[in-house]
Amino acid sequence: MTNVISVQSAVRRYGELLAVDGLSFDVQKGDVFGLLGPNGAGKTTTIHLLTGLLDRHAGKVEVLGFDPVQQSRQVHQQIGYVPQETNMYMDLNAEENLWHHAALYCADLTAVPDRIDMLLNTTNLWERRRDRVRTYSGGMKRRLALARALLHDPQVIFFDEPTLGVDVQGKHAIWDHVQEQRESGKTFVVSTNDMQEADALCDRLLILDHGRVVTAGSPEELKAELGRDVVTLRTSPGIKNAAGLVNAVGGQAMSQPEPGMTRFEVRDAEKLVEDIILAVRKDYRLESIRIARPSLDDVFLHHTGRALRDG
Amino acid sequence: MMKRLLALLRNELVMTRTTLSIHLLGFFQPALMFSLMAFVLVMPTFELYVARSSLPLGESLVEAMVQVNSPIGDAYIEPLLVEWQQGDDIPGGQVVELAISDGMPTAVQHFDLIDSNIVKNYRNRLTSAGLILWEEELGRAAIQIEERPLLPVDVPYNVYFGMGMLPLAAWIGASFVAAFLSAQEFEFKTIQEYRLAPAHWGLVLGARLLRLSLTGLLSSMVLMITLYVFEQAWPSPLGLALGMLVLMGLIGACVGTSAALVLKQTLPSFVIALASAFFTWIMGGAFGLPAGFGGVYEAVSRWVPNSYAVRALFPLYYPIEPSHPNSYLILFVFATAAVIATILIYRKSVLSVEEVRQ
Repeated sequence: MTNVISVQSAVRRYGELLAVDGLSFDVQKGDVFGLLGPNGAGKTTTIHLLTGLLDRHAGKVEVLGFDPVQQSRQVHQQIGYVPQETNMYMDLNAEENLWHHAALYCADLTAVPDRIDMLLNTTNLWERRRDRVRTYSGGMKRRLALARALLHDPQVIFFDEPTLGVDVQGKHAIWDHVQEQRESGKTFVVSTNDMQEADALCDRLLILDHGRVVTAGSPEELKAELGRDVVTLRTSPGIKNAAGLVNAVGGQAMSQPEPGMTRFEVRDAEKLVEDIILAVRKDYRLESIRIARPSLDDVFLHHTGRALRDG
Repeated sequence: MMKRLLALLRNELVMTRTTLSIHLLGFFQPALMFSLMAFVLVMPTFELYVARSSLPLGESLVEAMVQVNSPIGDAYIEPLLVEWQQGDDIPGGQVVELAISDGMPTAVQHFDLIDSNIVKNYRNRLTSAGLILWEEELGRAAIQIEERPLLPVDVPYNVYFGMGMLPLAAWIGASFVAAFLSAQEFEFKTIQEYRLAPAHWGLVLGARLLRLSLTGLLSSMVLMITLYVFEQAWPSPLGLALGMLVLMGLIGACVGTSAALVLKQTLPSFVIALASAFFTWIMGGAFGLPAGFGGVYEAVSRWVPNSYAVRALFPLYYPIEPSHPNSYLILFVFATAAVIATILIYRKSVLSVEEVRQ
């Protein structure tokens, strides 16, 4: 597989704050590559380094073999960018917004009318193409932003928080569009803090925290690496010596995220469920027990000691 | 390249819809201002009241005053006999009373709160009328006054006033729209589209400045037509006037764009555009050619492009021979400097990557 993006030991500071701290990763052609992490993890900064909107303070960044800052023109011709905040001309319609982009980005202006028609159709915006963008729903605006980023037929698309503020139906529509484009050979770099989105959309993930790589791999690999099931107990009152109880059943990574809740990881939880119930019932009233395969949140929790949603 | 430029210009025209109200303000505000100021504030004729008196001097003084009128234009001051005596209210702010003082026929001017310039005009008219009477008395021993005007006809002041506003209209049309268009790119974050665009920045900025210059031209043409409708004054040759107004529009566009690129907010950028338009208008010969005022005003006006625009326009509106080729050259230099400054600011505000590599 060909690497379309290569990052080695990239560093970016904002004053004293180290936003990206020695980041290294590669992205292969045709991948949907996810940057997963809580707010402030350095996802958007990483995308800005890759698009050339920001310069790095150290390290090496290459996109399609070019330095995004030193050879910005070569890079910008071949990338599309959908920023986190939808930046459209709200008083113009979809077609006018796309034409605006075309004049700035498309090398072949004669092909633009056909591409606009095609993209408005594939993103299901054809019927509303003459309506002002101001009247669009959040999902429609994101779909239009994706269509705009694809208009000049880029090789790599950077999609910052693809479905932020979009309803469930809209989310699935956007994921479908990304998958369609991926199948036609496009590479996507997606930043998200939505585990469901990362799981559903990405071939490979880079989990970030405080500008550093926590772990990397495909969603399945990351979850499998954990190798343990996640047990969540709800008791009344809360378990006082939870560590002792967890140790007794061979569990680890114990946490009590809220009163009355105890969470830990253990191998083959199904076989141990009876022992766990008996141990708890000695001193507490067991309200519920839940055994789950690990999620990406569990992966993050395992590596950082806190939940992804806690930021 | 031409195809790209046309596509960018098409974008610029479509963007009019995002700033419709400011376009309307830019197009019609100068013409509206001219209409209001020219026909409400600028009075074409003032009445000069002379109190009816038992002395025979009264009527001959009024006749002499009428005789003083400019032979090539409107009366400007129209003397009228009125019933008035001391203690009455002063009609229209001024009245001339005739009396005998120390055995001499004397004209006494009574003034209320009126503009000092008008006072001078009334006084001049009275003095000139006095001279005419004196001349009649003394015959060849008196001084004759002969008027040799530059112009064959006395052009109404409104023509100058409207002509002086043409550069302002071009500036307003271009700078107001420039400030709003460019600042809202930052507010809507659409500026990011320009930051990553592979199209050459020179074409992108060029298309915007060209469109804004033409917006300024259109704005000044609305005023030009208004001036024609009210005063039948039209520049000749028209092409020279339009060329000069395009340059003024370009300078205004650069000021508005630069303000927006630096301030990144519509309201402060608009205030800068507004202040610059009125400062350059007033300091650049708004009410008369700067050379006629002298002193600090003239010194400052040398650094204001409007002064040269007014000088260049003057022979196009007034039937006088000498044109001012230097004015066009200086305006071109102003416009070039403005474009260079805008390029530098554009590259810093839009294209520069934050912080250089260490």
